[in-house]
Amino acid sequence: MRQDFRVPRSNQVGSRQSRRRLLLATYGGWLLVVLAFRLVAGSRNPYAVILPVFVANSLVLFVWLTRRTYLNREVLVGDAGLDERLVQNRNQAFRRAYQLFAFAVLLGWPLSWAAMQLEPGSGYMDAFLIYSAVSILGLTLPTVIWAWREPDPAGPEPA
Amino acid sequence: MAPSIQNRITVLRAERGLSRQRLADALGINYQTVGYLERGDYNPSLELAFRIAEYFGLPLEAVFSRQPFAPMSSQLYAKEESA
Repeated sequence: MRQDFRVPRSNQVGSRQSRRRLLLATYGGWLLVVLAFRLVAGSRNPYAVILPVFVANSLVLFVWLTRRTYLNREVLVGDAGLDERLVQNRNQAFRRAYQLFAFAVLLGWPLSWAAMQLEPGSGYMDAFLIYSAVSILGLTLPTVIWAWREPDPAGPEPA
Repeated sequence: MAPSIQNRITVLRAERGLSRQRLADALGINYQTVGYLERGDYNPSLELAFRIAEYFGLPLEAVFSRQPFAPMSSQLYAKEESA
């Protein structure tokens, strides 16, 4: 084997099952952050607990999405380097992501407004959480949808 | 879901001793796309289908079909018998 041989980046996509597990774990991790936030919301300084957890979770999310799949890098680039199948998949992912994001925004506005009205103290935190959730969806949905849908990569070729 | 288009890319590639990567480079497409084409997970555009057929030096209908392909050997022997 040649020393300079490198597996093409497109081969590092992993199986669909592993990608789906990864994404569920990522969003599940964010839900854990929300849960932790709610549990310590009444304490004296909740941000001292929440902020490190939030930053750690965001780092894991960022590293997973950018290092473990090649998809995140491709989702925001232009058509250069993408063939017709990848362009088609990316466009479909953007279309679906926009639909879901619009739905999340329309749901998030009244929810955050209601949270602030019903509980003036902790309601602001809930509104912040809802805003954060919608923001994270906006930033990650195209990649997540693409990673969720992309079929298993082709198996190894016979020698 | 779009109806599946049958193709002979796997056989043609194997006949010529081409790797997926080499075929992908020659066609200007992603390595994985070759795999998906071979597996029938992706139907190519007309432009790409023509490019593939031209690369193998065959008419389009020899590479792609809407019906399952008969084995090449049976087609070959059928021609010899009729000749």
